[in-house]
Amino acid sequence: MSFLTPMLLGGIGLIALPIVLHLVMRQEPKLLLFPALRFVRQRRDSNRRRVKLRHWLLLAMRCLLIALFAFALARPTLRGSGLKGKEGAPLAVAMVVDNSPRMQYVHKNRTRLDEATEIAGKLLNKLPADTQVAVVDLGRAAGGFARDLGTARTRLSNLRASASIRPLAEVAAEAITLVADKEEYRQEVFLYTDLSSAAWNEEGLQTLSAALSAEPDVKLYLIDVGVDEPTNASLGDLKVRRTVLRPGESLHVETLVETNEGGSSTLVELWLSGDNGDKMTKRGQQIVAATDKSSSDKPAEVAFEVTDLPLGTHQAMVKLATNDPLAVDNERYFTVEVRPPERVLLVAEKPSDALFVQEALNPTLWEQPLRFVCETMLFDELAQTDLTKYKSVLLLDPPAQSTDTWQQLLDFANQGGGVGLFLGHRARRDAFNSVEAQQLLPGPLVRKSRDATYLRPRRLDHPALVGLRDYEESIPWKTCNVFTYWQFEDVADDTYPIATYANGDPAILERTAGRGRIITMTTPISDSLDPEGRDPWNVLTAPAVAWPFVAIVEELTGYLTQDSTGDLTFAAGTTARVSLDANQQISSYVLRQPDGQAMRRTATPGERTLQVSVTDQLGNYRLTSGGSATESSGRLDRGFSINLPAETTNLARVAPETLLDALPEGRAEVAQSLTDAQDYVDVGSRGRELFSWIMAIVTIVWCGEHLLANRFYRSAP
Amino acid sequence: MPSTVESYLKPEVIRQISRLDLRAQFIVKGFLQGLHASPLQGFSVEFSEHRRYAPGDDPKDIDWLAFAKTDRYYVKKFEAETNITGYLAMDLSASMGYRYRQELSKFEYATCLAAALCYLMVHQNDPVGLVTFGERIVDSLAPKSKRAQIGNILSLLARLEPTDKTNVANSLNQLAAMLKHSSLVMVFSDLLEDPEPLLASLRRLRHGGHDVIVFHILDQAEVEFPFEGLVELEDPETNERLEVDADGYRADYLEEINSFRDMLGRECVKSKIDYVPLDTSMPFDHALMEYLLNRRDWG
Repeated sequence: MSFLTPMLLGGIGLIALPIVLHLVMRQEPKLLLFPALRFVRQRRDSNRRRVKLRHWLLLAMRCLLIALFAFALARPTLRGSGLKGKEGAPLAVAMVVDNSPRMQYVHKNRTRLDEATEIAGKLLNKLPADTQVAVVDLGRAAGGFARDLGTARTRLSNLRASASIRPLAEVAAEAITLVADKEEYRQEVFLYTDLSSAAWNEEGLQTLSAALSAEPDVKLYLIDVGVDEPTNASLGDLKVRRTVLRPGESLHVETLVETNEGGSSTLVELWLSGDNGDKMTKRGQQIVAATDKSSSDKPAEVAFEVTDLPLGTHQAMVKLATNDPLAVDNERYFTVEVRPPERVLLVAEKPSDALFVQEALNPTLWEQPLRFVCETMLFDELAQTDLTKYKSVLLLDPPAQSTDTWQQLLDFANQGGGVGLFLGHRARRDAFNSVEAQQLLPGPLVRKSRDATYLRPRRLDHPALVGLRDYEESIPWKTCNVFTYWQFEDVADDTYPIATYANGDPAILERTAGRGRIITMTTPISDSLDPEGRDPWNVLTAPAVAWPFVAIVEELTGYLTQDSTGDLTFAAGTTARVSLDANQQISSYVLRQPDGQAMRRTATPGERTLQVSVTDQLGNYRLTSGGSATESSGRLDRGFSINLPAETTNLARVAPETLLDALPEGRAEVAQSLTDAQDYVDVGSRGRELFSWIMAIVTIVWCGEHLLANRFYRSAP
Repeated sequence: MPSTVESYLKPEVIRQISRLDLRAQFIVKGFLQGLHASPLQGFSVEFSEHRRYAPGDDPKDIDWLAFAKTDRYYVKKFEAETNITGYLAMDLSASMGYRYRQELSKFEYATCLAAALCYLMVHQNDPVGLVTFGERIVDSLAPKSKRAQIGNILSLLARLEPTDKTNVANSLNQLAAMLKHSSLVMVFSDLLEDPEPLLASLRRLRHGGHDVIVFHILDQAEVEFPFEGLVELEDPETNERLEVDADGYRADYLEEINSFRDMLGRECVKSKIDYVPLDTSMPFDHALMEYLLNRRDWG
């Protein structure tokens, strides 16, 4: 507590006045004749005590009255914590405005962001002119303090909701650090938030709590602009089964529809753009029964399937045809590509050796090749073959090759091709340890290990096996018995294992070469279960373990052919990466944004991915470049989609008490309305004036004194 | 609506008349007027004889039947069947002169009442005397039933001043010793003294064969304690002073004074003494009625 005019506290000394008056100028009672005095006398003593008590009470009230009056005139003010020792110092204020898409929630015809900026504007008007104000949004780092209040006001009015945002707590923590730098100032952070659980998760609260603890002078005001019971219909994150489709393969996308609006059912639509990324057409719609709030924990599932997509890049949108307060989560976007099957060359000693692999990659049961088209040839023919037709070459249990063949394979890999070496009983140490062969192999062959073991990759996070990760629990690794395998020594520096055996020895190794990839497996995948004259190296192809074999072969081949483009859907604000085909040569391209704006961009030479970092618009982006159809290496027609992660529009609210509990005690306040917020500003800038309250007490005491005195000294007429 | 005459029973009205004889007359007339309508009529006075009308007599007393027979005006004369000797015993203590807000002091009230009774008694041919006392008997007037007695008593009453200290018990003992025949002793006093000797003296009077009516006259202020705020009260007789908070004290005081009056009343009943608690705001008829009731018992 402090006083605006502490000098006037001296007035408390005036309480001496009634005391002196009481002692010196005691009021004489009125003298009256009264013959029946004998009846008065009998009970006089108790009455006299009562009179005395009342006298003192009256004196006390008068002293209190004077003291209170002096106290009120000294204008006591209460100040919030975090201001100790800085009474009267100017303010340093950071206005942190949550401008996430969630703040576009419309209530009473106003978005939450409108509400926040309006309150912030009104608070700005209340701040003294010498206040240092920083206006901070989630889009960019807290820059610094505005030059003056006018600039701050302009920045505030220019705030727009952005999909590319950083976590609120992180930005708030930065703002706390920013104001804390102003050491001579009183430091306050006003945080405009809808108190949604999306922004205020456990981790965010910890960040904020830590920031507050680190800066003990900063006071945080959370200004709640949220709506108490928000209604919203939203789409969950899209699950696209395959982003790269082959001709004939159908597009499958599914998502969840969550609504707490109740009442009518909702229409969900799938819109697909044409080949050139131009106008979208509706390709499917479903009516989803409304789930009311009580059952909102079970959101409705929606799935769309589209068949017969032509080759090319296809961009689509799943849309909720509803008109709810928050529109931004009613549309989700995705991009898929339909590509022709990749050509894979299988080279074997005899055609039967390639049979298992061919069946795994391109089953004969299927009328039409999907992912791969396999061609089989013998090792003798390899030297005369033009490998550029193929995306990858798999050598199944290769024998010693000529120097030219090794070189030919290395060149092929350097150009972006994939070479798979599946070593078996035909490999010879001396031939394979030649200089040329060693350019492809991970290292010199040392010995054949005959330790019975089985394939057991420790982790499935290498891109070559990442497709298996979903089935990790159900893969019967122990049945993938391997009896014999090659061991290397002095593995080259640019080599690293993709998978190991159960005993820890490397099973599959990768070595990069130029733009391509080389994979070496230390045991064959084409070995017969019952070879003539020797024991089998493994039982990978046995029917009991056939499905992991098929999966591994397909994944490895896919990795070698570099046919998985990676994800084509990114979260807003992240850098979108579109990997190019191995043989694609792009120098510049045109990026068309969802709003139709197109810009020419230059690709970094040598980079195999195109990176787009300006992704704050939600929707489908298209990357195109010219080049004729024949000159395919220069032509580009790709795309990617930017979505808002579904959890960022979770409108469920966090109770203010929960927030305050998680933050250091007394360091944060929650304001539910403009009045609350203005009160805080008043308290912050001038302190809470107690004048009116004390004057109210003065009035009460005064009335009491008057009543008592009147009753006491009432003069007889 | 009460007649004008009856309004003279009210102290505030009677105060407007300064002559005591007139006051007495008015009070009695007002009282008798009211009495005609009451079932008590005829108890007190009986017709005795006709008398020639003289100017000054009440024309309503004219007996019109006698006029019809004789063509002369006669007025009816009334007479009690038995005569009783009345003594009006007036307290002359200084406290009797007290008044607060009321028009009449206790003494004036007592005087009016005494005058009225005197008038009433003489009117009925009852001999009436007057005794005044302070600490002891100051003055006395032997009882007579002549009409002139009214004048004597009234003139004495009119001259009295309440200045003395009081000792009712002593005075009444003195009076008891003085009285030879059974009489009706009417005591007018505020009785502000120790109750024990007082009651003893009253009982002594009663045992002496006298009928006693105690008109206990208090000021309205003494009955109601209407003071407010801090007051210092002074006893006019002893000059003793006490400072009290009137508001806080009122309840206590009222309890005290009421218990005092109740006690007196109770004790008087025990001794077959008529105790009439009065205050100066009460109309006179209450006291007069008490006298008449007593008078009837005699008859």
